[in-house]
Amino acid sequence: MKAGTRIRWILALLLSLLVLPAAAGQARQADESGASRKCLLCHGKKGIVKTFLNEETVEAYVNPEKIRTSVHNFLTCSECHSGFSAESHPSGQYKSRDQYRLRSSSICRRCHSADKIKDKAVHATLLKKEKLGVTPICTNCHNAHSVTAASGGKVFSNEKQYCQSCHQHELSMKFRNEERMSLKVDLAVLDSSAHGKLRCSDCHYGYSSEEHPEKRFRSRREYIIASSESCRRCHFDNYTKTLDSVHYSLLSHGNLKAPVCNDCHGSHQIAHISHGVKGGLITTQRCKRCHPAVYETYAKSVHGNALINEQNQDVPICIDCHTAHDIQNPMTMAYHEKIPQMCGNCHANPAVVGKYGLSTDVLKTYLEDFHGVTLGFYKKEREELYKPARPIAVCNDCHGTHNIVSTVSADPASVKKNLVKRCQKCHLDATEKFPSAWLFHYKPSLSKYPMIFFVNGFYKIFLPIMWAGLILQVLLHIWRYAVNR
Amino acid sequence: MNGEFREKRKRIRRFSTYRVLEHWGIILTTMILFATGLCQRFWHLDLSQWFILKLGGIDNVRLIHRYTGLLFSLELLSNVLVGILGVLRGRWQPSMFITKKDYEDAIHNIRYYFGFENQPAKCDRYDYMEKFEYWTILVGGILMIMTGVILWLPTLVTRILPGEFIPAAKALHSNEAMLIFLLNAVWHIYNSIFSPEVFPLDTSVFTGYISRERMIREHPLELARMEGVAPEDLEKNVAGETRSLKVGVPAK
Repeated sequence: MKAGTRIRWILALLLSLLVLPAAAGQARQADESGASRKCLLCHGKKGIVKTFLNEETVEAYVNPEKIRTSVHNFLTCSECHSGFSAESHPSGQYKSRDQYRLRSSSICRRCHSADKIKDKAVHATLLKKEKLGVTPICTNCHNAHSVTAASGGKVFSNEKQYCQSCHQHELSMKFRNEERMSLKVDLAVLDSSAHGKLRCSDCHYGYSSEEHPEKRFRSRREYIIASSESCRRCHFDNYTKTLDSVHYSLLSHGNLKAPVCNDCHGSHQIAHISHGVKGGLITTQRCKRCHPAVYETYAKSVHGNALINEQNQDVPICIDCHTAHDIQNPMTMAYHEKIPQMCGNCHANPAVVGKYGLSTDVLKTYLEDFHGVTLGFYKKEREELYKPARPIAVCNDCHGTHNIVSTVSADPASVKKNLVKRCQKCHLDATEKFPSAWLFHYKPSLSKYPMIFFVNGFYKIFLPIMWAGLILQVLLHIWRYAVNR
Repeated sequence: MNGEFREKRKRIRRFSTYRVLEHWGIILTTMILFATGLCQRFWHLDLSQWFILKLGGIDNVRLIHRYTGLLFSLELLSNVLVGILGVLRGRWQPSMFITKKDYEDAIHNIRYYFGFENQPAKCDRYDYMEKFEYWTILVGGILMIMTGVILWLPTLVTRILPGEFIPAAKALHSNEAMLIFLLNAVWHIYNSIFSPEVFPLDTSVFTGYISRERMIREHPLELARMEGVAPEDLEKNVAGETRSLKVGVPAK
């Protein structure tokens, strides 16, 4: 043999040493696919459904693509589903879907023994529970056929990534009332939220790369209510305010429908406090979820219409009157008494209503008139004499509450006609002339209410003259008396 | 000396028991009306608020004010009726009516104050200042009653009158109240308490009697008529005091 030929042989041998194992692997995978091919003939198509004794069902469909890309792609079907082969297809009976999944988990544990998995925090927690009799179900976290390493093979740089390794998947949580809730968290949404910079465990305290306690809730609603408790760790002021709210009062009386933090603010998608053009609208629509009828009325009002159709940011939204956190029952006397001040916040402020040509005297003229003065005293009497208060007309008794319309464009005759009905709520025998006893927030002048203007004018001149005359007479009298003596 | 002393002690009946009681009634009702009314007009003052809360709240104050107003109306009505009836039955002279002499007396007194006259005007039973006060309070009182009724029963009033009458009545009621209050506070209180001629208190409306000395000074015409002498002779008439039998008879 020539030396050149020998070298060529050695090279070929070395090359084959490199290539062969790969080829062998290829051959094994191809072989397994071959063995599983018969199973996939049926289970690769949708439509086969397994029914359990409790009527629960599970689809016996296996996506061939996912199984090929899974970490178990080297296994044949029968290696997990022992007893099943091309020849044998026993029909097992299981009580429920959970019982089936429990059985399946024991198959996983044949290879993934406790010793092998215990190093992971999540697994360690689950194994602790197993000792107490709660057997973990592998497929709750790892999918059955498309099983991947929970990490996806990544090295975690932070806690969020660690949690995401599972929670990016369509995991779900089952409550005792059989409700389910997705545990998938969209990282893009989370990152763009106001809490984008927080760690998962800042809210989900008790959870970390070491701990993953399993919590059982009666229902999805109870879980949501319980999770809203996390908010107070940072937002203690607002949390405390909510304790005084009508919503919390409902909740504490057992009404679980009463909203908690995340019902309005959301959970992973918590928005930045926004003064943008849509901010007000979004807020009102949160309230709409539970108060649709009020929203519809508001939407038609001068305020709602401007907000929705003109994106006007000057108009009040729900929380401007009702506040956001310490929302009070609007049917109470304390709330009723606050209304003029609430309306006055905008309507007595030239910076807000000035540009719409509205008078800023409305609050002052109200407070100085009969009803306003009475209101002031009723408020004091309630606070200082503990006297049960009587309602007295405030802004909304004449203007309406959620259905406020503009009085600028309205026809004065129709305003008075409508007003008489409002007057009659308290002044039962009021007739159509009665509303004009109210000066409609005007100050008397030559053009508006001249009669009152003249009465006031007359006394403004006459009183000082009389005063001066009398004083003069008294002084002269004293002077003369002194001179005489 | 003895005569002078007797003259000083001599008292003449000026007001009947009815008028004394009437004045007490007016004092009490107007005091209550001013207290409960002014605190409503100046509601924003701390003192008013304290007072209103002490009375148990604005509703109580309004209630007291209205019913006291009703009482005042009855007093005013009886004053006018008793006066008219007394004059019609010929018991009294219509001494409260304003005459040309009152204007002359006013001018005379101003001249006297400035030293152009030696004597003050000689007045009858009521001098022009008393008449001015009486009529201002009477006319003012009627205005207060009318506007008060409008404010008490606004729904009834607006069955007939336009609604604007209610705020107008309110303006009139509170302005007129100020006028009457100032008149009382400045004029009446000065004349009956602080005036050097009566200080410390003009007691005639409480006791019903006035000294003859004051009658000579303030109501010489009436005294002269009573005693049947010329006003100029009153000073000399100390001895002839019994000539008149009208002493002690209330004369209005």
